Amino acid sequence: MISDAAQVKGRRLTWFSLQHKYAPYLFVSPFVVVFAVFGLWPIAKSLILSFYATNGPKSQVFVGLDNFRFLFRDADFVRAVWNTSVFAFWSVFLQLPLSLGLALLLNKKWMRGRELFRLAFFSPNLLGQVFVGVLFSVLFIPQYGLVNKALHAIAGRSVPLDTKWLADPNLVMPALVLTSLWMYSGFNMVYFLAALQAVDQELYDAALVDGANGWQTFLHVTLPGIKPVAVFVMIMSTIGSFQLFELPYIMLGNGPGPDRAGLTIVMYLYNTGFVTGDLGYASAVGWTLALGVLMISLFQMKASGAWKGASE
Amino acid sequence: MRELPYGKAALSMLVLAVLSGAWIYSHPPTEEKATLRLWVFANTHYNAYKAALPAFEREHPGVKVDMQLVAGTAVTSRLLAAFWADLDVPDLVETEISSAGMFFRGPLKDIGFVDLTDRVRDSGLWDRMVRARFSPYMSRGRIFGLPHDVHPVMLAYRRDIFEKEGVDVSKIQTWDDFVRVGRMLTIPNKRYMLEMTDTDSSLFEYLLFQRGGGYFDPKGHCIFDNDICVDTMCWYVPLVAGPGKIGNSLGGGQILTKAVEDGYILCLVAPDWRTKFFELDIPRVAGKMALMPLPAFTPGGRRTSTWGGTMIGITKRSRHKDLAWELAKFLYVEKTQVSPRFRESNILPAAKDTWDDPAFNEPRPYWSNQRIGRLYAEVAPDVPYQYTSPFIITAKVKLGEALVECVLYYKKHGNHGFRPFVKRALKKSADEVRKLIERNPY
Repeated sequence: MISDAAQVKGRRLTWFSLQHKYAPYLFVSPFVVVFAVFGLWPIAKSLILSFYATNGPKSQVFVGLDNFRFLFRDADFVRAVWNTSVFAFWSVFLQLPLSLGLALLLNKKWMRGRELFRLAFFSPNLLGQVFVGVLFSVLFIPQYGLVNKALHAIAGRSVPLDTKWLADPNLVMPALVLTSLWMYSGFNMVYFLAALQAVDQELYDAALVDGANGWQTFLHVTLPGIKPVAVFVMIMSTIGSFQLFELPYIMLGNGPGPDRAGLTIVMYLYNTGFVTGDLGYASAVGWTLALGVLMISLFQMKASGAWKGASE
Repeated sequence: MRELPYGKAALSMLVLAVLSGAWIYSHPPTEEKATLRLWVFANTHYNAYKAALPAFEREHPGVKVDMQLVAGTAVTSRLLAAFWADLDVPDLVETEISSAGMFFRGPLKDIGFVDLTDRVRDSGLWDRMVRARFSPYMSRGRIFGLPHDVHPVMLAYRRDIFEKEGVDVSKIQTWDDFVRVGRMLTIPNKRYMLEMTDTDSSLFEYLLFQRGGGYFDPKGHCIFDNDICVDTMCWYVPLVAGPGKIGNSLGGGQILTKAVEDGYILCLVAPDWRTKFFELDIPRVAGKMALMPLPAFTPGGRRTSTWGGTMIGITKRSRHKDLAWELAKFLYVEKTQVSPRFRESNILPAAKDTWDDPAFNEPRPYWSNQRIGRLYAEVAPDVPYQYTSPFIITAKVKLGEALVECVLYYKKHGNHGFRPFVKRALKKSADEVRKLIERNPY
């Protein structure tokens, strides 16, 4: 026969063991619940919505794949994809070399005031896209803007004072790329700087002993050393570029700019969802964008050998 | 506490959560007899109504008006979201003319605004107000908003420079006259006769309206590729892009201030509301500015157009619709309120019987002592109709795209094959809008 004290002890043990067994689930449950409600459910709901034509969330008509079919025939979407791709291309192929160059410069021990320069190059990123957009819209003003005045002073009549950077379809994209260059070069520079400082100094010493020149050292020591970070920065820059919205939206006066020169995919999504009011079509755009970015990122990882590096 | 191994803190939080939840549940928020929530997006309206609302509250004891100033760019998306979610919907909202059509998408029963058609007709406002101003706030023959204004358009010009150059504006009767003077006064890259843009439709549409054209017909069909628009485009583009260019635009805000002060732009499109902006933003040219009616496209033709506008709508979610209607009338057509407000805003109200107030006859020193209220009132009855659609924003963008294409073509090829190109460009743009309309299953 089991005594009362033993029974009480047994019950306490069971209670404690149950608590210890389920406590982890209890602790993670707030995150899981919040993520399910505000993360998973909207994602699932947007997928469902992409098969409907909607007027807000109340009126919905099932249209099957029609939203996707229309998407690829729509000249605006094609233009948005083109603009965004051009922006992404220049972002990666101008921004990253510039960021790396700045990082290499600031990594030199002989460089004076490195901390000051680091802060100066990084600080544009602290401002946010809206502020930067407003700032550059003023800089690009025709006739009186600083950009035109400076270029006119340097290049003379070949750059007229009333050059309309944000109102000329051919100049809108260069203006956006220049602005993002100013904003993000310093940000990416910090990643490269951290990567450069992590490259084993002994490898440089060995290269020096082997008689490698500066270019060879960069090519065979520095680049392989910073490759994982470079791939990461490239992928993040590409994803960021494909999500471009605030900068053109602010700089071009809440619209796509002249001849849709500043129309990006996210701006197109915003317009279809919150201007035209078709959330279903906007969802289709969103899913297409997500899949597109995923494919490009996978391609970049494969092309750069990032998977191979990870598996090793 | 061995039974509760997470400690006293967790127990305290649990107890607090239960107690506070119970208290909130047992004390639901109490409302006053009637609180009307009103959203406005224009600072000038907000200030004017703020002064007027105590009188309304005195006339309606127990009623409180909670007016909120919502940023112009945010009001549309906030209201759309509020309608969609049935949350945070105000009783009354002021909406800008170019976005009003967006709220008319879907079946009539789904429109978030109350159908005011019967109220407007029964109260006599249909006859009291400038009828053309209802058209932007109508859908499928029903009225969903009360117009705040008429916004007739005149031309503001630098009187001092015109006089110095010996130009007599009374002789400018038609656009042909205007262009002739413009060619005389324009100095490329230094001075332009008229504010015109080659990148969007914002400074093109008032000319289109003046000729009787528009984006949509009363049934919501897209019409901006008709002959009126083709003619207007063929007339407009050479003035802003060709060798005989007399128009230019550098942008708004401070740059416009500088451009007017420097005499870079001589004539500005001036709907009534914009004259107040000029007074506030370009004070250095006070006394040097004056207004003239728009030149007509044909002798004896229409001497005005319209640009901008605001409506007030009552939401279906409002629990005090009759009271909201009273407030809308008080703010928009009550003579004692509306007429004196002209002094602060320069905006001509839509109710015609309010225009005989002395406020409209006062000379304005900024405008070379012209009686601008009277000038606007004289042309106001002739403002053209403009119709809207849920696709109005897209239509504006598409017309702007066609304009840019025509400008690029004209810069390259001049008049050679220009008209057929304009036709094609406008049709292509209008077809894109039609394609979107056709997709709409409602």
